[in-house]
Amino acid sequence: MTRNRLPPWLVLLLPAVIIILAVVAIPLVLSLYSSFTPYHLTRPDTLWKWTGSFNYIKAATDPNFWKAFGRTVLLLTIALNAEMLLGLGLALMVSKVTHGQRALRTAMMFPMMFSPILVGFQFKFIFNDNVGLVNNALQSLGLTDVAIPWLVDGNLAMFAIIFAEVWTSTSVFAILILAGLFALPQDPLEAAKVDGCTPWQSFRFVTLPFLMPFIYIAMAIRSLDVARAYDIVQVMTNGGPARRTELLWTLIGRTGYVDARMGYANAMGYIAILLSIGFTVYFFLKLQTARRELGMGD
Amino acid sequence: MKGRVTSSALALATGLGFATAALADGEFAGVAIEAKLIGGQQYEALYGRIAEWEKATGAKVSIISQKNHFELDKEYKADIAAGTTAWCVGSNHSSFAPQYPDLFTDLTPLVAADTVAGFVPANIAAATIGGKLTMLPRAQFDVSALYYQKSLYTDPAKAEAFKAKFGYDLAPPETWDQFRDQAMFFAAPPNFYGTQYAGKDEAINGRFYELVVANGGKMFNDDFTPAFNSPAGKEALQWFVDLYKAGAVPPGTTNYLWDDLGNGFASGTIALNLDWPGWSGFFNDPAASKVASNVGVAPAPKGSAGVRTGWSGFHGFSVTEACANKEAAASLVDFLTNEDSQKLESAAGPLPSRTAVWDYVLEQAKDDPYKSEVLAAFQETAKTAFPVPPTPYWIEAGNLIFPELQAAILGDKTVDQALQDASDAVDGLMKENGVY
Repeated sequence: MTRNRLPPWLVLLLPAVIIILAVVAIPLVLSLYSSFTPYHLTRPDTLWKWTGSFNYIKAATDPNFWKAFGRTVLLLTIALNAEMLLGLGLALMVSKVTHGQRALRTAMMFPMMFSPILVGFQFKFIFNDNVGLVNNALQSLGLTDVAIPWLVDGNLAMFAIIFAEVWTSTSVFAILILAGLFALPQDPLEAAKVDGCTPWQSFRFVTLPFLMPFIYIAMAIRSLDVARAYDIVQVMTNGGPARRTELLWTLIGRTGYVDARMGYANAMGYIAILLSIGFTVYFFLKLQTARRELGMGD
Repeated sequence: MKGRVTSSALALATGLGFATAALADGEFAGVAIEAKLIGGQQYEALYGRIAEWEKATGAKVSIISQKNHFELDKEYKADIAAGTTAWCVGSNHSSFAPQYPDLFTDLTPLVAADTVAGFVPANIAAATIGGKLTMLPRAQFDVSALYYQKSLYTDPAKAEAFKAKFGYDLAPPETWDQFRDQAMFFAAPPNFYGTQYAGKDEAINGRFYELVVANGGKMFNDDFTPAFNSPAGKEALQWFVDLYKAGAVPPGTTNYLWDDLGNGFASGTIALNLDWPGWSGFFNDPAASKVASNVGVAPAPKGSAGVRTGWSGFHGFSVTEACANKEAAASLVDFLTNEDSQKLESAAGPLPSRTAVWDYVLEQAKDDPYKSEVLAAFQETAKTAFPVPPTPYWIEAGNLIFPELQAAILGDKTVDQALQDASDAVDGLMKENGVY
């Protein structure tokens, strides 16, 4: 009697397939399925009740969901651009430092080493209207005599959140751009100098195009990070007050884990993922274009 | 009960004349009880007694989770979803309990009737959900009373100015209208505010709820259709709006929760503060509070219907339906809520939920004027206290209501619009869940 043996290629691939199935595919399929049910965590039987596209229609017709969606896009746009500009500036300055550059590079990464929850608490205190550092400083300097409601006013609260995000993650851009600057070939820069280019022209037409692939990689990584912004916002405002700082994931987190409406939360999550996919595709297309312009890619 | 009665339980039963279940030596020998308990330094003294119960019964307790109630709530929901509910004893809270109708077992057949009779009847009524006694309350009964800075009421210039402006004598407020007048009168922003309130999550819902009731309204009708979009509800929300608009509360109050309020009053920058009994010691501690020895405590004021606000809740212990040894688990719950346990907990400030322990703590405090004042104020408020509406959708409905309350307070919506939107949202939630 001969035993049936699996082909070697399948045996070799099997561990990877099993891990991907268990860690990614099964949870993904299950959550996708549950988004078509009224699944409520405290009533497990609701997982077996099919309601079709009810949750998706409910999310798609809920103005609060779309406002949170819009706010997340706004946060992404402002935070990514601010981080890119500051990171670029930081990297250019650090690249010129001749003594202690390693120490500077390490110090630059400190904000990234803090847990986002702690960053949230830190900025919640800094922007507190009554005992916060910012208001106390402004009042002590005589710049204002009122308690500015940093975490209450819609615009100020979004500013405070973006400030915290930028503070913690600008170094991601700075480090990646710095890596690009170190890899920058000197010949084109010297040629530009010989041709009489000003420093600005050298930067604009030589350095920057070379750095763009690095910038787009940083953009793609950070866009995924910011699009799922939760911890800092949860601690600083929890999406409030009056939904003024509600982002997709504070809304989805509350719906799924506090309200226990996991089916509806999953439906909102799947719509939200479109945002991340959209930004990622956009930045990869830009990356390809930038590489092509440098003659680096197809 | 078989076997010998332990010495401590015997002393309690005979020497003090209390009705309590006695523990039999080795009654649950070899039984392992897993427990999920609320965590925090203030609860550790009680958990220290678990060793006594283990010694008396021969059972072994493993605490497998210690978190605050908000985190435990999420964990319980995940346990229900995953079907992992065979752990036996869990901390519970009257505000969260209606969400888990099937997680915890009915303690009535597991606990002696005279044990249950020793608790404050209103607490047992609130612990009974759908006819099931879902938990035994521990000495962590919460209702809010009014803390105020006494010196504000002994200043003749302030008294004169107040009377000239409002036409009545300045004294600690007995109604919420007087409270509003005084909060506006005392406010001198940005350094001093008349009052403050918890402005988000379940905290502001609870405050709104108790004010609706004090004004003669209710949150839900008997069929759980929303009832807060009413004259009483509008009057309640207008109270919050008026104080915010007048600058009588800190501008960040809509982001405040309990710790912010406690620390705010202790910082000496708040005149009037409706708060929980657990803060009484902190407020009068010179090492922690700038208002120490200047704190007055009065019963919660009354609303326009002549009813005191009295949103109350309490911590308790429950036994899971899936527990393999419910008798042993119920014995532990009984032990953790018995008179000795409640005396131990209430010695640090929290209010008991047993009638006899109330008498005991009042007697113990008679030589301490501040403690007597605190207890008298909370006892008076507790007489008419009421729990949250008994619906599993209280927290979920609250998450729909509180952003609308905030929107009105911050001026994004009118009171009428905010309550209409909140009512519509809650109506949709109830209908979607087949409540009616």
